[in-house]
Formats: sequence, C-alpha cells, structure tokens
Amino acid sequence: MEIKFNKEIYSLGAVKLAIKEFSELADIDIEQEQNYIRVKFIKVKEGDMAEMKDEFANYVLGLHS
Amino acid sequence: MSKDFNFQVDGDKLEFTINTKIYSLETIYQAAYLFLDKVYIFLDGDPSKEIIVVMKIKDSPDNNSVDLEKIADEFHNELLNQLLRAKVNKSNAKIREYIVAQALYNAVPNEVDELLEEVEETKAENWQDDPMNIAKPWEGDKESN
Repeated sequence: MEIKFNKEIYSLGAVKLAIKEFSELADIDIEQEQNYIRVKFIKVKEGDMAEMKDEFANYVLGLHS
Repeated sequence: MSKDFNFQVDGDKLEFTINTKIYSLETIYQAAYLFLDKVYIFLDGDPSKEIIVVMKIKDSPDNNSVDLEKIADEFHNELLNQLLRAKVNKSNAKIREYIVAQALYNAVPNEVDELLEEVEETKAENWQDDPMNIAKPWEGDKESN
C-alpha cells in the first residue's frame, strides 16, 4: 500500500518527519520520483493499514499548516 | 448548491478542485487543517493552476451522521475565511510589528538611557574633580624645561 505525495504540495521534510513519528506504528519506506514522493507501507504493527495510510496523509498535511 | 462547486462523489470519497489564482496553497493548507479531525484530506494537482482536493470520511462512531458534501461546502466557506485572515494579516503587518516593538521597548529597561543618566549624575556631582590632572596648565612645565 502506498501514497504518492506531490512534491509541489508536500515537502520532503514533512514526509520524513511523519515517517519518523509513525516509525513505531509501521514499517515505512520512502522513494523519490521526479514529481512525487512515494511512501510505501510495508508492515503495520498495529491496526488497519488503510486507516494508517489515511492518518499518515492527514498528519503530513497537518505539518504544512 | 454543492453542484456549483463541481464535486465528484466516488463511494466514500469526494473530489473537487480549487483555483490557486483565487486561493493560495497556504490558504488551502490552513483551511484543510481545520477539517483533519473530521475527514481524511489528500491534495494533488498543479499549485500554479489548481489543487485537487480528495476528502474521505473518517470511519469513526462520531462521524456516522457526517455528510461529506456538507463538509466540502464548509471547506469552501473556510477557504474564504482563511483568505480574509491572510489579507487582514498582511495589511496589518506593519502596525502589528510596531506594536510588538513598542511593547518590547517599554518592557526592557533602556540601557542607553540608564547609562546617560549615570553619566549625568556623575557629571553633576564631580564636575570639578580632576583625577588625571588634566586641568593643570602645561605652559609652566614647558618654561621650567
């Protein structure tokens, strides 16, 4: 399961910070493409992966406000 | 009313676009932040033209009665609100800076004023003192040499 964050909207710093904050909840990988930051959820330690993914996206967005 | 905003509903998701020539990305961030507790929000698109907003209801017991289209309408109202806040913020920036500077200036004792006061007091008390013997005429010494 993955999320593609548009680099013009989401900063790499915010995504990395969110990965750090979520590191205890899930194993997350990050890859950079030309226009997108691809975040892959490999394993969720607790809870639902889809929900975790959505919460992660909200968290990253919240860091921009 | 919601059709005016061109919402596209797809299952539990709702999608619409925002013109960034009207609402800046910063305004969109601020508005979105206020809805993060109710819905999942994901942004995409081209910030120089338009932002695509995808909203999804959070699957929580408190959100059973939440109408996604209503939230999207409220989101548009919030965009206007944030836009106005940003404009007021910008137009009041100088006044705000002045008020803060004035408050800080008055809060901290002015060191320069204190030093000047000290110098004035010293002058008033000891203006006739000459500890370094500066007032001594030098012509007498010259003649004796």
